[in-house]
Amino acid sequence: MTINYTRISALIFLLLFLVYSYLAGEIEVFVFDEDADFNARTFPKFISYLGIVVSFLTLVLSKNENEKLGQYEWLKVFVLFVLVFTYGIIIKSVGFFLSTNLFLLVSYYYLGVRSYKTLLLCSFPVVAGLQFMLHGLLDVYIRDPFLQFLGVIS
Amino acid sequence: MIEGILIGIDTAFSGYNIIMVMMGCFAGTIIGMLPGLGPMSAIALMIPITYGFDPASAMILMAGVYYGAIFGGSTSSILINAPGVAGTVSSSFDGYPMAKNGQAGKALAIAAYASFSGGTIAALFLLVAAPQLARVSLSFQSADYFALMCVGLLSIAAFASKGQFLKAMIMTMFGLALATVGQDSLSDITRFHFGNINLMDGISFVLLVMATFAMSEAFMIIFKKMDISFSASDVSKEKLGSIKLSKEEVKEMVPVVGRTSVLGFLVGVLPGAGATIASFLAWGFERSIASAKEKLKFGKGSIKGLTAPETANNAACTGSFVPLLTLGIPGSGTTAVMLGALLSFGVQPGPRLYIEQPELFWAVIVSMYIGNVVLLVLNLPLIPYIARILAIPKNILVPLVLFFSVTGVYLISFNAFDIYFMAIVALLSLVLRILNYPMPPLILGFILGGMIEKNLRRALLINDGSFSFMWERPISLALFVIMILIVLLQIYQGLRKEEKQN
Repeated sequence: MTINYTRISALIFLLLFLVYSYLAGEIEVFVFDEDADFNARTFPKFISYLGIVVSFLTLVLSKNENEKLGQYEWLKVFVLFVLVFTYGIIIKSVGFFLSTNLFLLVSYYYLGVRSYKTLLLCSFPVVAGLQFMLHGLLDVYIRDPFLQFLGVIS
Repeated sequence: MIEGILIGIDTAFSGYNIIMVMMGCFAGTIIGMLPGLGPMSAIALMIPITYGFDPASAMILMAGVYYGAIFGGSTSSILINAPGVAGTVSSSFDGYPMAKNGQAGKALAIAAYASFSGGTIAALFLLVAAPQLARVSLSFQSADYFALMCVGLLSIAAFASKGQFLKAMIMTMFGLALATVGQDSLSDITRFHFGNINLMDGISFVLLVMATFAMSEAFMIIFKKMDISFSASDVSKEKLGSIKLSKEEVKEMVPVVGRTSVLGFLVGVLPGAGATIASFLAWGFERSIASAKEKLKFGKGSIKGLTAPETANNAACTGSFVPLLTLGIPGSGTTAVMLGALLSFGVQPGPRLYIEQPELFWAVIVSMYIGNVVLLVLNLPLIPYIARILAIPKNILVPLVLFFSVTGVYLISFNAFDIYFMAIVALLSLVLRILNYPMPPLILGFILGGMIEKNLRRALLINDGSFSFMWERPISLALFVIMILIVLLQIYQGLRKEEKQN
């Protein structure tokens, strides 16, 4: 049996379902429900048993596939992931308008856009338009300290 | 029924809902055209927008997005041989050669007429079939529903797996496991929240769909260095050529439309199948019944070869609404997303839907006619302009898709945790997709998880904890036999594949 990415992933799933199975047994149920035909533990247990069987079968039966993971743009995707994560961190403190524009500008720039006109046209009008639609038309309130500071929204 | 249809017509033809259909078709066409972004991503992106709407308008909009996306996918298949949607891959077999021969306009017109005919004929079938099936399904009990949902999960795993059934089954189980996070519907006990308050309410369905489809598609575009060499001048009126069809060409199309719309509808009704399988089957079917001379034309710009998949994929889209609206069980990944959206509106699709909410049930069906007309009348003449969207470079497109995905989820909860969680799920699903783990079974498992648990619980309580309902009720028994057959078929196919490789 050779090691390949599918087998590694199947092993991870197998471990995951084993842990899930253990946790399913640990779910606290009401005393009167302990011996019931069906309680909060029953369904997760079924899933975990089936999950263990299918991931074990995948681990044993999978064939070698053409898996060349090195040819992809891992770094770029990871940077984008970090940007999304950072966007999530600053959205509450900085506000929707500024954080979204920052996210878009940095992402465009990182992906190779250098024209200032494009950078500005594809960020500020898009975000402003969406925010106007949400605030002005759909009455959806988004907390935005920056725009409040500028007096644009109350 | 007549009264229901009249209510549906009244609802669907209200000015507001006509605008919804038009917006849906238009947005769907644009998003479906973009390589990588399919109807599931398109509908996922629409969900946050529809939260303020009434359920009928929201469903009308999403249905419009669905067939708009399929139509948009055909456009990119024909023009640049880069299908935006899996269901339109087979349209590129003959559509792209036609475009290369300077008949892009004609190919787009054939695709539009075929889609219109397929969608309209299938909507007629839906009009007749849906109430009949809903009436039959009124006799379904919890045990039968449980069995039916298991058939749905198994068949989507079988169809979406591309030969890797076990991987699809892992995804199904994973989806079911994710559905158990949060409060148990009966006892209110919270499960698998790990002390995190953000998980106590369970994982948001919109978050999961956005992360696994829209966001991970955006990552995938960068990840696989996908780029399109396309400029706006490629869709100038001169380059597209005429969109007029001759009498002979129409005559050639008509019988194909008749056959493949029936085929497409039937495939669409089957759980797990859908536009992709319908379109491949239709192309293969037409090729197999063609004369030896015509057979040679297939793959080189045959009118029949383009008409067949285009008719079938739209008919299948309409067909997939039958199990969704009548049984409350989605037949495909896309309708699974719609089911999730309906549930979040507090609407429970099922056999009682057409009795209790006829305006929703019939309005969606009636709106399909309007949608097909919109696609034909509005989108066909606008294609040279809409297709310019293909010229958007990926370094602009990707951040915009990420932004819309994040905003869509954030606007529902206003919780930054959802953004972190979404980014992690998107990254994980990207890795899983690279390793050929299909995502639709995960979504279907997640959406059906709660319902399966509820029905299994009821079935077991009625039967004093015994699983005898599996063989005592004829409907359940028939469905479990189907499940066994699906599994056996997968084992047989696996063995044959192995034999061939040896």
